[in-house]
Amino acid sequence: CSGYQKLLKSNDVNKKYEAAIKYYNEGDYFKAGTLLEELQPLLKGRPEAEKAQFYFANTNFKQSNYVLSAYYFKSFYETYPNSQYAEEAMFLHAKSLFRDSPEYELDQTNTLSANESIQEFLNRYPESTFRPEVENMSQELQKKLENKAFQGAKLYQQLRYYQSAVVALGNFQQQYPGSVYSEDAAYLKLESQFNLAKESVEDKQRERYLEAVAFYKQFIDAYPNSRNLKSAENMYDFAQKELVRLKPTEKTAASASTN
Amino acid sequence: PTQAQTAPPNDGAEHYVLGGITVSGARYLDNNTLIALTGLKIGDPISIPGEEIGKAIRKLWDQGILGDVSVSTTKIQGNKIFLDFNLKERPRLSRFEFTGISKGQADELKNKIKLIRGKVVTDALLNNTRTQVKKFYTNKSFLDVKVNITQRPDSALSNSVVLVINVDKGDKIRVRDIAFEGNEAFSDRKLKGKLKKTKEKKPYKLLTSGKFQRAEYEEDKQKLLDFYNAQGYRDAIIVSDTLIRKDDGLALRITVDEGPKYYFRNITWSGNYLYDDKTLASVLGIKEGSAYSKETLDKRLNYNPTGQDITSLYMNDGYLFFSIEPVETKVEGDSIDIEMRINEGVQARVKDINIAGNTKTSDHVIRREIQTLPGDKFNRELLIRTQQRLSGLGYFDPEKVGMNPVPNQADGTVDINYTVEEKPSDQITLSGGWGGYAGFIGTVGLVFNNFSLRKAGTLSNWRPVPAGDGQRLALNVQANGLQYQAYSFSFTEPWLGGRKPNSFSFSLNKTISRFGTSFDPTTGQFIKSNSATVALGRRLRFPDDYFTLSNSVSITQYKFQNYPLNIRNSAVSELTTGDANNFVFNTTLARNSIDNPTFTRRGSSLSLSLSLTPPYSLFPGAHPNSTQWLEYHKWMFDASWFTPLVGKLVLNSRAHFGFLGAYNGNRTLGPFERFKLGGSGLGYGGASNFIVGTEYIGLRGYADPNDQEAIPTAQTADNGGIAYNKFVMEMRYPVSLNPAATVYVLGFAEAGNAFNTYSQYNPYKLYRSAGIGARVFMSAFGLLGFDYGYGFDTVPATVTNPGTGPKGRFHFIIGQQIR
Repeated sequence: CSGYQKLLKSNDVNKKYEAAIKYYNEGDYFKAGTLLEELQPLLKGRPEAEKAQFYFANTNFKQSNYVLSAYYFKSFYETYPNSQYAEEAMFLHAKSLFRDSPEYELDQTNTLSANESIQEFLNRYPESTFRPEVENMSQELQKKLENKAFQGAKLYQQLRYYQSAVVALGNFQQQYPGSVYSEDAAYLKLESQFNLAKESVEDKQRERYLEAVAFYKQFIDAYPNSRNLKSAENMYDFAQKELVRLKPTEKTAASASTN
Repeated sequence: PTQAQTAPPNDGAEHYVLGGITVSGARYLDNNTLIALTGLKIGDPISIPGEEIGKAIRKLWDQGILGDVSVSTTKIQGNKIFLDFNLKERPRLSRFEFTGISKGQADELKNKIKLIRGKVVTDALLNNTRTQVKKFYTNKSFLDVKVNITQRPDSALSNSVVLVINVDKGDKIRVRDIAFEGNEAFSDRKLKGKLKKTKEKKPYKLLTSGKFQRAEYEEDKQKLLDFYNAQGYRDAIIVSDTLIRKDDGLALRITVDEGPKYYFRNITWSGNYLYDDKTLASVLGIKEGSAYSKETLDKRLNYNPTGQDITSLYMNDGYLFFSIEPVETKVEGDSIDIEMRINEGVQARVKDINIAGNTKTSDHVIRREIQTLPGDKFNRELLIRTQQRLSGLGYFDPEKVGMNPVPNQADGTVDINYTVEEKPSDQITLSGGWGGYAGFIGTVGLVFNNFSLRKAGTLSNWRPVPAGDGQRLALNVQANGLQYQAYSFSFTEPWLGGRKPNSFSFSLNKTISRFGTSFDPTTGQFIKSNSATVALGRRLRFPDDYFTLSNSVSITQYKFQNYPLNIRNSAVSELTTGDANNFVFNTTLARNSIDNPTFTRRGSSLSLSLSLTPPYSLFPGAHPNSTQWLEYHKWMFDASWFTPLVGKLVLNSRAHFGFLGAYNGNRTLGPFERFKLGGSGLGYGGASNFIVGTEYIGLRGYADPNDQEAIPTAQTADNGGIAYNKFVMEMRYPVSLNPAATVYVLGFAEAGNAFNTYSQYNPYKLYRSAGIGARVFMSAFGLLGFDYGYGFDTVPATVTNPGTGPKGRFHFIIGQQIR
């Protein structure tokens, strides 16, 4: 370790560089990173700079400093677009952002920028060997965004703001039509509308049960094998009974018959 | 940088393939690396004119190591082009130093001018530096400053120079005289007052610097005109303003043309279907014949922070697309007729609620506080209410809670985007101090206000603690060795079950206090208490949703040995060894509408609390002794109002009452739960500290409770009063509202007393005091401060107190105090 301390104090650029590469190859990314960081300004304009910059970015990645590694990989492939490491740098840039994407409950700005950089990578290197991994990352991020939107809408159902739940779940269905959460969203929308109707004043109940029945039909058409089929049917039966009880007044019946 | 143009004169670019690159002129730099840095490689297409060469030059520049770059064509063979990059290396900056100024200012300048060592010294860099240094001094009124920069080669490093920045500050040039011409309606003095930042320096004006700063002066001129406009002089202009340099400083001459004063005449309305003219006119509240003021008009139309305005009348009912345009239809003499053209638009419904900026706090913690719900009509008031709620959580910078409604005209809906900025909300207390009798006391406290129990199971979330679910976890240990130890733990979940804001909290406390010199477990003097509390609270919807109701059950066990408990006017005179238990049910009704918890400007907080023990003595048969199971009912009332006065000055008026009573006249009240007033209300300091089970209430200007010089009911020989009241008036003025450290100063007048019996109770017989103080709120440490109070009333002399204590006292304040 005393050798490393000596190196840190040394002014010999070449010795430092060689030692940094040695540490890097041995997998001691902390020591390699510290040396390479000091070397960055000193190597500017020298042939070793390219490799040093890529390695430096990677030491950050290996130490899970994804914010820094994303930044350095980006500046690497912008400075050396023709480098042999350029493709890998762009991939690792995207991967850094991917790793830095927070859980779905938090602000997703980083997820969006990760998605963008993934798209850029795929446009630039469509034949890349990293393609399958990049596509997996992209799908995972997309699923995270869908989950965020779905949980946001679901919260209104949990808080018993049924009307808001119906609106929010409807927005979700519009925004993410092919989502893995689509089935749950459709069911929760039906349940929320049903509960809304049940809690309503009698004036509005008929209209709201009719809407619930419409949601039920959409639900069973789209998901005939749903595990929630049984309880959906129960709601439908209940709604039907209520609709019989809440016979349309003469006026609405008249307008219905003319239609 | 110059670029050699070999482009043929015809319009279209010529296309080549790069045949070779050379670099010339480099002395210290490596040619191959420079070629790599251009980003060009042999075989790349090059068009002339075209962007490839420009891009390559920019990349070289971006490295910041070159003085000049130019490109020339060495030869063209068929469609192959050969380029040469001619470089000029410049010396690099190795360091820089200042002469002619103090070290302090040199350090300040070093941070300001941001010269990067290792950068190439160019003319632009030198010019930039000179301008920045000049600006720094002209801002400090040194208008005659001279800056001279010289370069000298650095002997230690090749190809580098040292910059020597010589500054000749000259004299401070201040504004000595401001005069107005053409003003008839207002005096010079009045108008000078409207120039907020530009003031004249006079020998008697100690706090005025007399600085002249162009940008601030321009703002001041606008303020002057705004003042005229607000008074009905809407044609007022500044005809000319001159700054004259005299021997002793600057003289400012401002010539204004006031123009006539205008008045409102007829105000008519068009386009209004929802509200009739009369309703709108009463909301507007501008009478015919009042001075014409664009400012007042805008306020009443668009946003009035202290009352109603026309826009919120509509916007609180979904009319987001509402617009109103006041049009001057007629100007006759000094009277103006206005037609209000209204476009009511359609009612907009809320569609999506988006949240951004929460890097720590979970979505659901924020979303459940948001009052604007999808599917509801848009309501501006709820938007503002939401902002208050989000600020009130304490997780976000209250000044930066953003709300941005994005209307979709096409389908008549609106998305609302909320943005927040997290601020540190956890508090760490590490303190040590001398506390009178007990000597050194150390405190370790941890409060996590945004804890997450759900995430606590995963080890990777402990960086440093799992956070984001809005739960509160607090741990506190206070001790000075064997003599005094206090431990507490509490956990709060604000939304038990996740469906409603019903809070659940659980806390445990343990206190040990030993007296005398012998800490022997069998013969020593001590009192110990253990307690556990479970509380449930909920927000109410009636009478309004600022109300909360909370209920709690707690049990406390007191264990004491050879412990002197003297109760004046009580049958129980000496109670030395034994146990006492306190099982109590508490219910508290509170209303809290304060706008900002750290520096409150407006709002109020009221709380009525009732604590009841079971009425053992009312049951038939044998019942426990009153010293074994405490029996009492206790009523506490606290009220606090915040009123903005002038500018940033806020008045806080408070009233506090507390009463302790027995169910049964034959049973006396025990020594516990009584009130002691004095000092900063922290309950320690003075001779014998830490009497557990006592309610300590601050009374600045008088000695801490249990001190020999404390007011009678708070003295050591007494266990405290059974009734108290206290009234406070406090003026607060913010010095800094920075969320990292909110600082304010205050002046107060207060009065309070506690009484031993109800027959002695007299809300007019109070100990009065007045004083000044300051508070600092740092999110990591909570509230800290000190007060100096002067007690007007003399504390009567007793056996232990000669009654000659000082009138003025200093108090240290730790934490936010309710009473």
